[in-house]
Amino acid sequence: TPELGNWAEGLIFYHMDLYGSKERFDIFPEEPSGQADRSRGNSRKEPALSSEKIQHSQEAGYDLEKEVAELAKMYGLDEDKEKELALLGGHLETVERRWPPAHTQKAGSQGSELPGEASQDEDQSKAIAEDDAESHMWSREGLSSGGMSDERSSQAVSEEEETADVFCSTCKTPIRAFDKLFGEHRDHEVAQLSNAVESEKEEIHKNMCKLEEQIAQVENFASHLEEIFITVEENFGRQEQNFEVHYNDAVQVLAQKYEEQLEALGEEKRRKLEALYGQLVSCGEHLDTCKELTDTTQELYLENDKANFMKAAVTVVDRLEEFLKKEVDLELSTLPEFEERIIDFSEVEQLMNSINTIPAPCAPVINPQAPNAATGTSLRVCWGLFSDDTVECYQLCYKPVSNERHGDEQAEHVLKVKETYCTITNLLPNTQYEFWVSALNASGISPPSERAVYVTAPSPPIIKSKKIRSCENAALVCWESRDINPVDSYMVELSKLTDEENDDTITESIVGIPNCEVLIHLQPIQSYRICVRALNLGGSSERSEPVLIHTTGTYFCLNEDTAHPLLAILDDGFTIACDELENLECDLPVYDNSFTRCIGILGSLIPFPGKHYWEVEAEEDTEYRIGVAFENTPRHGYLGANNSSWCMRHIITPSRHKYEFLHSGMTPDIRITIPPTRIGVLLDYENYRLSFFNADIAQHLYTFNSHFQHYVHPCFALETPGILQIRTGIAAPPWTALP
Amino acid sequence: MRLTTPASAMAAPGGGAEGRRCPLGAAPSPARSAAGPRRSSETMALKQVSSNKCFEGFQKVFEHDSTELKCKMKFGIYLPPKAETGKCPVLYWLSGLTCTEQNFITKAGFQQAAAEHGLIVVAPDTSPRGCNIEGEDESWDFGTGAGFYVDATEEPWKTNYRMYSYIKDELPKLINANFPTDPERMSIFGHSMGGHGALILALKNPGKYKSVSAFAPICNPIQCQWGKKALGGYLGSDASKWEAYDATQLVKSYPDSHLDILIDQGKDDQFLSAGQLLPDNFIAACTERKIPVVFRLQQGYDHSYFFIATFINDHIKHHAKYLNA
Repeated sequence: TPELGNWAEGLIFYHMDLYGSKERFDIFPEEPSGQADRSRGNSRKEPALSSEKIQHSQEAGYDLEKEVAELAKMYGLDEDKEKELALLGGHLETVERRWPPAHTQKAGSQGSELPGEASQDEDQSKAIAEDDAESHMWSREGLSSGGMSDERSSQAVSEEEETADVFCSTCKTPIRAFDKLFGEHRDHEVAQLSNAVESEKEEIHKNMCKLEEQIAQVENFASHLEEIFITVEENFGRQEQNFEVHYNDAVQVLAQKYEEQLEALGEEKRRKLEALYGQLVSCGEHLDTCKELTDTTQELYLENDKANFMKAAVTVVDRLEEFLKKEVDLELSTLPEFEERIIDFSEVEQLMNSINTIPAPCAPVINPQAPNAATGTSLRVCWGLFSDDTVECYQLCYKPVSNERHGDEQAEHVLKVKETYCTITNLLPNTQYEFWVSALNASGISPPSERAVYVTAPSPPIIKSKKIRSCENAALVCWESRDINPVDSYMVELSKLTDEENDDTITESIVGIPNCEVLIHLQPIQSYRICVRALNLGGSSERSEPVLIHTTGTYFCLNEDTAHPLLAILDDGFTIACDELENLECDLPVYDNSFTRCIGILGSLIPFPGKHYWEVEAEEDTEYRIGVAFENTPRHGYLGANNSSWCMRHIITPSRHKYEFLHSGMTPDIRITIPPTRIGVLLDYENYRLSFFNADIAQHLYTFNSHFQHYVHPCFALETPGILQIRTGIAAPPWTALP
Repeated sequence: MRLTTPASAMAAPGGGAEGRRCPLGAAPSPARSAAGPRRSSETMALKQVSSNKCFEGFQKVFEHDSTELKCKMKFGIYLPPKAETGKCPVLYWLSGLTCTEQNFITKAGFQQAAAEHGLIVVAPDTSPRGCNIEGEDESWDFGTGAGFYVDATEEPWKTNYRMYSYIKDELPKLINANFPTDPERMSIFGHSMGGHGALILALKNPGKYKSVSAFAPICNPIQCQWGKKALGGYLGSDASKWEAYDATQLVKSYPDSHLDILIDQGKDDQFLSAGQLLPDNFIAACTERKIPVVFRLQQGYDHSYFFIATFINDHIKHHAKYLNA
């Protein structure tokens, strides 16, 4: 196979070229390149080898092969290279059988495994692997420059190529099948060469994985060591500083003590010496006096004149007597020893002790409130310590901020906390709390931090379900806050309900709503779950109870406060009834906003442009007025009787059902042959229309063409006792598109 | 000549201010007798008399040889712009006494609404013409211009005066064969005698027309002078045979209520007060039989095309609602 031959050629020359490239050995000074070259040269000149040597070299070759593969992997060479390397291994060994390459030969001839040799092999293999991609080029260069190229070796390869097809497991070498039968491998265990290659590859791969793991482990460990290194430096530096400070203090204190002691000692010495000196002086004076008396007495003895003698003797005797009367003080006024002094080492002792203890910490710094750190009933307060002080725990104090100056001070709460944060629960919603914190350790308590004001999140609002209005494209949602304190804004969350179960996906959020009302644009014929959250600095409240909105049609409720006293709204909220027309004058409660004459009621305002459809069901003989009216339509008048309302009226005359379409008290003259029992009302703001239909038979009855200057309310009234059922949330039927 | 008849001295009952033989004044279409543009039409049977672009569509007049009526007949047809690209429903208009195919297409102003709703509107003539029947031109309310949309059974009318069958069968067949129509969707309306025609065609052929409407229709011809004269003339003196062409009578046997009837009536219509139209009888019958009717008595309006033009849009919409449903 010429291709294989080429490979073999390439690899061989490549091999040679590697050995020729001297710089590769420069990094191994213990194995001078010259020597390597020489040994290689020698090996090539000694083709004859003993079988023992061959075995040796084969083992070395095997190792080489493994290493090559590992290194190839390491250097990012892919599977193809691996195959080539396996081939290389095979070829190498084939070659080795006759002309073992220098390195294996060297191992064999030298008979010892120098540590340098292994690494050299490795390096060579590495070089092989690195340059493998260029192998062809290299091989050609090698061929042309041909420093080490040997025709014989290439010849040999091509010869061996065709024959090695079995692997001898005993000798760990590929052999020809022929050898198995007749050669030295006759009794050896053999395997197909390809199988052997596969299992070798597997082994190699395993080892490479292990190696990779080790690399990762060691790298991790090294980086860990680096961290520790830094930590050690930091810790010890800090401790050095600590020692310096404390020992300086102690030395200063000792020096001071020494000064004090010396001073006291000198003072005592001076006092003692002064006392002794004083005594000495008085002794001298005493002696002088004695001497003078003796002299005077002796002079007296010398006096011959008796009278003179006696005269003088009297005074002398008096003086002597007086002098001798005085006692001579011969006691020492002071002792030579110095006084015993108690030296107070307690301060020093404390200082010395404190070297290994710690000072009381500095005041911690309390953080301002972080976003999302609050719920309606809890707050997460955080603080920090700027010094390196050791802290055993913190003392966190808080109380609600009260606006009232006078008394009634709220009780403080105190908590011991180990961490630099704390979540306080059982708080009131949307309320401000003041927090301050001190740090404690064995040495004492720090001053308190500044006070920080945190605020709890608001309570979830309550959606006013009776005020919700919706149509195909929009909804108006109103709610009220449960908190006394005002909140910053509200947020509405919509989730479009699908048939699938995951209903909780919020499809849209509307934030920054200042009022308790929002108009939301929606898609037609969908169901939405809508929740509201209140927001303040502390965060957002929990979600309100959700409301469901279906955008199948226009939905509104009835404004109970507009209902005439005789008009009852049944439990479903959409059925109105009037039982009797009597006792109109009785004491039924009348709201300011309610109809007083027409037994009517308004629905809530329909504040969306576009078309709106609803239906009213009535018995055939029910007398009613249904239509729309402005908010301010007179409550004391009849619907349709003024220019602020438009309505269809049904009454029964003795001869027939009479239908009127009233606005400003005027009606066209219209006869309808089938009394509708389900009246469809289509309000079309855009086309300035208000149409009435017999919904059962899709019959158009009448259309007001009126440009409504304002949004209108649906209105309903009973002329006589009866019941009207209002149906909302109905898609406008297609036949309402045209009259 | 008919100009001597007292009725036409006031106003033609068909609402036309001019007599049927009068020139059409400012009417945009060429005179019927003149040699109009004679482009060969889609089929051999049709001859285009005129074509005028109107609201992006075309108002055309065609002439053809009617097999039913055994004479040349003209009809007006409005093709909305939509007809150029797709099939459109057809709305048939039946005119009143003395009218030709011209009155409606020149005076009612329906084209804009028809263009908007994509309706083909066909307005046939009101009777066979030029059949040389003795007495056909003697009065304005019988004979020429007064076919009354019945199939005559009496001599000498019974050969030609088959307007009922012409409107019911031949004309739709012709229209469907020559124009882009949807044969399944057709409606009918008319004025006065044409209102009567529209009502009886709808009531006699349940399901054939999607909807029906009328302006000041003759609702109960067996009870009024016009009706008695025409029905007696065409059908013979046996009044019981007339009932088959009386809307009020037909309602009583109409099988279902799937017909939405819109009727506009001018309150100041002299024929209303003259007892020719009798809508109350029709409404009473419909109320009795639960046939849905909205009857609008329009304050101050008379029997003319001014009245029709005022409410034509409502009627076009009424039909469009069912034709385009």
